[in-house]
Amino acid sequence: MTDVNAYVPVLRRTWVQIAIYGAVCLALFTVPTLLDNDFLLNKYSRYLVLGILAMALSLSWGYCGILNLGQAASFGLGSYCMAMSLKLRTVPVHTGAEGLPDFMVWNNVTSLPWFWEPFYSLTFGIVAGIAVPMLFAAALGWFVFKGRITGVYVAIITLATLVVVNLLIIDQQRYTGGFNGITDLAILEIFGMEFDAYSRATYYLVVAVLTACLFCALMITKSKTGLIMQAIRDHEGRVRYFGYDVSNFKIFAFSASAAIAGLAGMLYTVVMEFASPTFLGVQLSLGVVIWCAVGGRQSLLGAALGAIVVTGMQGALSESEIFLETWTLLMGIVFVAVVLFLPKGLAGLAEAIVERLFGRGPRSAGDASEFGAAPAATPAGRKPEAAE
Amino acid sequence: MDLVLQQFFTGLSIASILLLVALGLWIIYGTMGVINLAHGEFVMLGAYSAWALKTFLGLGLLPSLVLIFLIVATLGWIMERGVIRYLYERPLDTILATWGLGVIMQQLVRLFAGGELRYVEMPETLSHSTFLLGVEVSVYRIFILLVVAVLFVVTWLLMHRTDIGMKLRAIIQDRDVAACFGINSDRIYGLTFAYGAGLAGLAGALVSPLKSVSPEMGTTYVVDAFMVVVLGGLESLFGTVVSAFLLGELTGIIAYLQNDTVAKALVLLAIVVLIRFRPQGLFVSRVRS
Amino acid sequence: MTGYLELEGVGVSFNGFRAVDGLNLSVRQGELRCLIGPNGAGKTTALDMICGKTKPTSGTIRLGETVLNRLEEHQIARAGIGRKFQVPSVFKELTVRDNLSVAMSRTTGVFANLFKFGRDSDLEDLHRLADLVGLGGQMDLPAGHLSHGQTQWLEIALLLAQDPDVILMDEPTAGMTAQETKKTADLFKRLRGRHTLIVVEHDMGFVKEIGDRISVMHQGRMLAEGSVEEIENDPKVREAYLGSGGISGA
Repeated sequence: MTDVNAYVPVLRRTWVQIAIYGAVCLALFTVPTLLDNDFLLNKYSRYLVLGILAMALSLSWGYCGILNLGQAASFGLGSYCMAMSLKLRTVPVHTGAEGLPDFMVWNNVTSLPWFWEPFYSLTFGIVAGIAVPMLFAAALGWFVFKGRITGVYVAIITLATLVVVNLLIIDQQRYTGGFNGITDLAILEIFGMEFDAYSRATYYLVVAVLTACLFCALMITKSKTGLIMQAIRDHEGRVRYFGYDVSNFKIFAFSASAAIAGLAGMLYTVVMEFASPTFLGVQLSLGVVIWCAVGGRQSLLGAALGAIVVTGMQGALSESEIFLETWTLLMGIVFVAVVLFLPKGLAGLAEAIVERLFGRGPRSAGDASEFGAAPAATPAGRKPEAAE
Repeated sequence: MDLVLQQFFTGLSIASILLLVALGLWIIYGTMGVINLAHGEFVMLGAYSAWALKTFLGLGLLPSLVLIFLIVATLGWIMERGVIRYLYERPLDTILATWGLGVIMQQLVRLFAGGELRYVEMPETLSHSTFLLGVEVSVYRIFILLVVAVLFVVTWLLMHRTDIGMKLRAIIQDRDVAACFGINSDRIYGLTFAYGAGLAGLAGALVSPLKSVSPEMGTTYVVDAFMVVVLGGLESLFGTVVSAFLLGELTGIIAYLQNDTVAKALVLLAIVVLIRFRPQGLFVSRVRS
Repeated sequence: MTGYLELEGVGVSFNGFRAVDGLNLSVRQGELRCLIGPNGAGKTTALDMICGKTKPTSGTIRLGETVLNRLEEHQIARAGIGRKFQVPSVFKELTVRDNLSVAMSRTTGVFANLFKFGRDSDLEDLHRLADLVGLGGQMDLPAGHLSHGQTQWLEIALLLAQDPDVILMDEPTAGMTAQETKKTADLFKRLRGRHTLIVVEHDMGFVKEIGDRISVMHQGRMLAEGSVEEIENDPKVREAYLGSGGISGA
């Protein structure tokens, strides 16, 4: 080998990453054996689902530089697809089997709308839960990225789109349940296995999906496509002159992220036992950005753990109103501090610490770019002598 | 005919408030490239300042206005010096940081002033109506219109007739070159941000007698004001006036027609399409590539 | 005589200012052409139009049979044009190795690249290139940590990795030491024949070293074309450079 000084930081080596990701997922699988409390398991399932959602954002934001403030749109669409299928499996109280869902009856709807019909098939519902958000994102991505809209404008368009979808769902109460969402759902049943919200089975399902999503996303980031995504994040204009159609890569990252978010949304319906317009709320959508930033936008696992830790702590403190208020204040402060001083989040911090403890890089420990300052702030001419 | 005029005045009143909020946002966004999501919170703080000055010091709204401007401007200045200035190289992160700062301000107000609605009294001298062109119009709304007109002229003069304004325009063109000529861009940025925040504070104080005051009140303002700025473009102050007028009248008509949700969705969609095809705004001829 | 890369009456204006006007340029396949001219002559703009960064408002640009005018940047790149920018443009957050890997763009599709992990086949090429430009020891260093000269070399290596038919170089030796400039000249002479090169340069020593034919631009137009001696003795060229101390002082 010619590059005798070749050195990849410990936590960025592929095998180390696979080992850590695997270990975390394994640990999550063992939780139910240590904990015999269905109520807590349900709570944890909820946090893990939000972890999947944050990880999806990391894929488009952290790796491709697309700040999607409307991530909750994909999440909500997935969630509604699952809820529609499960709703049609319940036996309505008023109309009997095969009858209209209760909220339609209350809204004087006389026959099932055409777009509800296919959801009698659970398979269709599950496929739609991934395909609908993905295609929606692909269409929006095509509209935005083919027009070379970048940066803050992408953030604003995605946020505005989220609000539009949210408004429409609330407005079309007759078909969507409006503010109340879709409630009173049947229990999900796949291949004869029942996934009750308060059961180990559901917890295992969530962890399994989380594991699959993490490794799929890891695979994407390690592929050449993932590398080109990162190049686009770094210097979009330059990538074009190598012959890559930048918009296609962005559409891919955007819709892959939406597909994962849709999957998470479906699981959320199963865990929460309803679908609600708040699942497509601005509040949640911006929340995802916080989790992602705090955990580390450029680390899939970091983003997921960020969501799990933040929502977990929020859940623990939500018992008391005063605590919750203070907590929101604290989160705001932490968030601003992270944006200012830790652009790579806690994952970046962990990376720097591990590097200091175990690293043997040509660079001196505590390299500026590992810790805080954005790489752009690194003095251009600085070149470590040890590399020669 | 009366109905049309009535509707026109309602729209004009909305437009004047929109312009006041957007003016501050425009200055901050147009000159520093910072999308200040905390701008709505400056509006909210202005409204709360009006409430607090009345409740604790017994100061009426009119005498408090200058004080409110100074209070909110100082807060804006602190925010720029403390946080925003570290992020000029990272425009995407300013969105996140200003939003976080907005959350902090909302939460602080909620903790110290309570989450319930507050009300601010309208100045007695202005709380009656008069007839204009045969239509009944609230004097207070005319007052707001005049204040906004004055502030607009002041802003224009500041930009084009003062030393600081000239430096500011130099920095907008090229920050590095301006710095080479000895212009202290840091100081100018701080002052600009403070001025923009102060304007938002004034807007909040002025609307406080018309609307109830709550910690969340800023959110709607920031969205509407941002639409005004995007529509008007960053090149000229007058584009902002035209777009504020258009959006104000539009909002008035929508409110009259009473189909709020669909109208809101349509306006947002229009904004999305506008950004996609004319990110430089409607009233800008052509921007250099 | 029709060349491989052909510009016919190409022009562009910015806000009424005609930066380039009626430009004609014809370059044979495998030729190394130097493009010189006083500041503001429109050299960089000419390269911008060839690679698609700027769309010409008049004229045609052809590469072989392909008309490039209306194509997008990535299509032009796929047609076989590579560009090195005046301000070195590399991916600062990515390592030298990843920079080179991105530049190696034989397949450009999203899904064609999705299942490519094996750097094995390309690995040797990458190392060879990195060694060639003296960055063999910095493969895992983020490009943002390189010195200005090294960044120049990295971008040249990126072009070699991209391996386009036509290479456009905008002031490749800016910020290089005399020794490095010599090395660059040697490299360019080796590339000639296999690639078609257009090099914009201010350093006349470098131009004399590498160029067989020189094109001189002035005020957006082609002023003269010929060998080094012809250009140096051309009265029109002398006049254009008047006040900047003659051609060698430019």
